[in-house]
Amino acid sequence: MEYTIVVKNLTKKFGDFTSVNNISFKVKKGEIFGLLGANGAGKTTTIRMLCGLLIPTSGMMEIAGYNVFTHGKEIRKCIGYMSQKFSLYEDLTIIENLELFGTIYNIPKKILQKRILNIIARLNIRDFANSKVLSLPLGQKQKLAFATALIHKPEIVFLDEPTSGVDPLVRRDFWNMIYESASQGITIIVTTHYMDEAEYCNRLCFMSNGKIEVIGNPNKLKEKYKVASMTEVFQKITNR
Amino acid sequence: MESFKAILIKEFRHIFRDVRTLVLIFAMPIVLVVLFGHTIRNEISNIKIAVLDYSQDTYSKLLIEKMTASTYFKLTKQLNSESEIEQAFQQGIIHMAIVIPRNFEESIVRFKSTDIQLITEASNINVATTLESYGKQIIKDFEKEINKNHSNYIPFDVNVKMQYNPSLESAYMFIPGNIALIMIIVTALMTSITLAREKETGSWNMLAITPVNQLTMVIAKIIPYMLISLICTAIVILLGIFMFNMPMKGSFALLTIVCILFMLTACSIGILISVITKTQQEAMLLCMLGLFLPALLLSGFIFPIENMPWAIQIFSYIVPATWFIVALKDIMIKGAGLITVWLPVAILTATTIILIVVSVKKLMSKNIF
Repeated sequence: MEYTIVVKNLTKKFGDFTSVNNISFKVKKGEIFGLLGANGAGKTTTIRMLCGLLIPTSGMMEIAGYNVFTHGKEIRKCIGYMSQKFSLYEDLTIIENLELFGTIYNIPKKILQKRILNIIARLNIRDFANSKVLSLPLGQKQKLAFATALIHKPEIVFLDEPTSGVDPLVRRDFWNMIYESASQGITIIVTTHYMDEAEYCNRLCFMSNGKIEVIGNPNKLKEKYKVASMTEVFQKITNR
Repeated sequence: MESFKAILIKEFRHIFRDVRTLVLIFAMPIVLVVLFGHTIRNEISNIKIAVLDYSQDTYSKLLIEKMTASTYFKLTKQLNSESEIEQAFQQGIIHMAIVIPRNFEESIVRFKSTDIQLITEASNINVATTLESYGKQIIKDFEKEINKNHSNYIPFDVNVKMQYNPSLESAYMFIPGNIALIMIIVTALMTSITLAREKETGSWNMLAITPVNQLTMVIAKIIPYMLISLICTAIVILLGIFMFNMPMKGSFALLTIVCILFMLTACSIGILISVITKTQQEAMLLCMLGLFLPALLLSGFIFPIENMPWAIQIFSYIVPATWFIVALKDIMIKGAGLITVWLPVAILTATTIILIVVSVKKLMSKNIF
């Protein structure tokens, strides 16, 4: 079995506070891997370490077959990231944003133009293409940010609460985009605290107080705890 | 290189789309120069003075006449006793008092040294210092005049040298100070804010996980602000020369080099501030307290460093703007070459290198890759 992400004994401390406490997990290629947990459970810290934005206190991480500590350069080329906050430039137009990130990833101009046209067509935002991102509704912005994170065709995409504050209809749309990407072999790590979204993941990882409580397929977890929904699974785990 | 260009273009777009800020940036040097040019004027005229003349002889009368003949001083009161001096000050009718000792004429004729006392109201230290200098200068002139036929008189030990060019004197002070302030606002403040903004909105992380080197990213981001700050500096210098008759005796090349050097200093401070702060507000506050105020108050721009307590003086000499202003004055007013301004230039260079190393290290230490 091919694993694109291998995490071993990962720990992150901020002073006396242990945000992530000795966690280990593996993620397969093309998998949609969900990180669940209450605020402060350590989801975002984990994602930020995986992206190279935070230095772990101890532990080992392997991404796309590269050791994080020795092959950062190679890893950068094959990961995409979408942060909790909306992070495109609001005073630039949609095309300018896409061109900026495309150029930074050294995508040849012709290919980049093609990809930008595809994104605009896929998101159905042709009328907005030359207007500032500022003028887009939030749901569209989130979809655009996702598309931007995918512009260099990464092997792994990290999505940190991509759908928070977005209405259910757009969330459905967003998850369709996630499925499309996964079917193309892109590994997706997503954090969320919507329980219905948890059902969409191939595998889930429940975190609380920096530790992994349980990892498994949503259906198998429901069977294991003999309940009908993920919300109930979550309650069983937290009440344990 | 492509990504460097892309970030550079993006930054210019940010700047040119924010028209309000852009107008503000370019209007600032003009407003500052005009404002300071018409408010910090240290030249004096018609200052009310009082005289306590113990001698009441020919020479003392001559001196008083000479004092009041200038447009600087206006005799408003003849005093009769020492106690009246205090009174006159308290009533606010005079700003300076002159005390002429007994036997003034006699000591002069006999080539003895004599001392004249100048008492100035020091509630405004700047005005007081200026009054003192003017007074001393007139006394010295007077001395020379009455002794011009004698070769062996005992000269007064008045060591204040002051050129009588009042309107220029303030330009000497405020043009170099303004250049320093503009550099700090445009370069340090704007760079730290633009970097802090990327952090605040989260776009910094979007860029930080891309293959682009963080240093490349920061440099591409700050180049536009460097250009703007140089343009603003040029505006201040030109306004100073053509509007306020600021002399420009040194070489423009050296002036440019020193300005670029200080711009780099300001830039590195801006980067450092953005590294240690999380939001734009924090960055702005730190710039104001840590940079702008020291440059305004401690650099010798408004208050002479020599008049500060030694503990504050130490801080003054730590503030980079102090050295920048010293170098600017030497180049513009005295026409100094690199040999004369080597000390400030060396200090600024060293400061810049240290700051750049520290900020780059801090910047790089945050990420794994």
